[in-house]
Amino acid sequence: MLKIENLKKMFGPMAALDGLCMHVRPGALYGFVGPNGAGKTTTIKVLTGLLLPDSGSVTVDGIDAMKEPGRVMEKIGYVPDFFGVYDNLKVWEYMELFSACGGLYGLNARKRSRDLLEQVGLGEKTEYYVDGLSRGMKQRLCLARALIHNPPILVMDEPTSGLDPGTRYEFKEILKELREQNKTVVISSHILSELSEVCTDIGIVEQGKMVVEGSINDILNQINVRSPLLITVCRNKEHALNLLRAHPYVETIAIRQNDIMVGFTGEQEDEAMLLRQLVEAGVMVCGFVRERGSLESVFLQIINHEEGMVLISEN
Amino acid sequence: MKINPIYWQEARVSSRSFRLPMIILLCNTILALAALLNMYSMVVQAKDTAEIQYASFLNLYVLVACIEFVMILLIVPALTSGSISGERERQTLNLLLTTRMTPADIVIGKLMAGMSTMILLIVSSFPVLALVFIYGGVVVKDIMLLMISFLSAAVLSGSVGICCSSTFKKSTIATVVSYCVMAGLVLGTAIAARFASSVGPGFLVWLLLLNPAVPFSAAMGEQIGNIRQISVLQAWTGGSMQRLSAGKWLWMGVAVQLLLAGACLWMAVNQVNPRRRRRWKY
Repeated sequence: MLKIENLKKMFGPMAALDGLCMHVRPGALYGFVGPNGAGKTTTIKVLTGLLLPDSGSVTVDGIDAMKEPGRVMEKIGYVPDFFGVYDNLKVWEYMELFSACGGLYGLNARKRSRDLLEQVGLGEKTEYYVDGLSRGMKQRLCLARALIHNPPILVMDEPTSGLDPGTRYEFKEILKELREQNKTVVISSHILSELSEVCTDIGIVEQGKMVVEGSINDILNQINVRSPLLITVCRNKEHALNLLRAHPYVETIAIRQNDIMVGFTGEQEDEAMLLRQLVEAGVMVCGFVRERGSLESVFLQIINHEEGMVLISEN
Repeated sequence: MKINPIYWQEARVSSRSFRLPMIILLCNTILALAALLNMYSMVVQAKDTAEIQYASFLNLYVLVACIEFVMILLIVPALTSGSISGERERQTLNLLLTTRMTPADIVIGKLMAGMSTMILLIVSSFPVLALVFIYGGVVVKDIMLLMISFLSAAVLSGSVGICCSSTFKKSTIATVVSYCVMAGLVLGTAIAARFASSVGPGFLVWLLLLNPAVPFSAAMGEQIGNIRQISVLQAWTGGSMQRLSAGKWLWMGVAVQLLLAGACLWMAVNQVNPRRRRRWKY
């Protein structure tokens, strides 16, 4: 559905995109994740025709975006990370403006606007001035605007940033609805827990490159094996640390208060053996669990940074 | 007929705002006051001297036309110089560019919006200009010529405003620069022509074709003859305007200025186009 190959973009001496590749299958709800400055917004701007890349190719539903940007725009609905509203324009007028911009006029435009406003929960607000809407309502209006020309692909850049939990939940429900309508959605966000709930696929970008990409289940399964052991020690912590440092399957050890996070490469039997060794060595173990893989842990492993943790050894 | 959505939106918003009726009210008040005071002085003079000077009514026409022309040059850049930069400031330009609208559609929509306000102003001031019909001396064709010079000046200053608006990110800077450019076109070319007529190279006189005041003064000159205001301009340029007849200055000036306006719009379209490689940032 959407294919980006070897995309490069320089801003002065800095490479915003450094050979980024991205593949989004039809009907996927694709989470596009990365730290600030990783190149997410640049990628989205290239995708939506707002930025010309230095090299690389973008194909949307088989159409080359570099050669036929007009046709590509018909396939894409864009929800930016800002609202972009006009003063003195009512909700229905805002929708009418963008339906006309999308080539939809008259009764068809009015019907489509009405349906979309109902879908995003703004059916009762059509006579309100856009400027007077709350942040959440503006964001939902932006979503309705992006869908006005019924695009098969929706590209959203940080759509839930600055929204309260209730509005985020509503937004998530709308995303689920869109998925049911077989829309392909690319959504960039920092709120990883939300993405893991709704996304089917994920791509993690760092320093302008795609680091991990694929189905969210596959990635979480992979990361589960590699996720650290969380050992909570009530007494004899130093003893435990000495034992762990000498263990052949231990790669990294990090301490957070009473918890010891151990990068452990062994299998389940090896985990059991380690627990036995700790107990036999007189260490009072209060907790011993393989941390559950989450999108956050994947993200943190990839960008190699975990807040509040002190890495004390690396074998 | 499908109306340009940008123009439609601008028209809708400006019809709601306080600005449009205020501009029209203020401009027509100035014009009407100037005309009525002029007429009053003529009536007083007629009472004192017991003779009616019909040339005074033509002076009334020239006065009103001159005031209106100056107002066009002052108002149009203000109307258009914030059009594209305003969209950038509101963060709506990128939204428009991700629709079917081309950069040219956006620029033309903005120009149409600015022009429609100006046309409204010109049409609404028509009754004041038509005061001269009471006494005769000016026919409808003359007024049409005047309108053409007004429209030409409005299109040029509107295009300059839009060009500056698309080049500069901030509306304030765009407005200042567009006024500077218009001052350069009106005063700069007149100074160049004066310089050319005395010591400089003669071809500089043709820069007057870029001056929106020249088609206007030529239109007035053709209608009224060598009246004082036109003579002042001609004398100021060292008599260089006499190289062509008034009619030729009018039509050639309008043609050149419309071409210049086209060039400004082309530049604006290029500036708005996100797929164009940018060399400069302001």
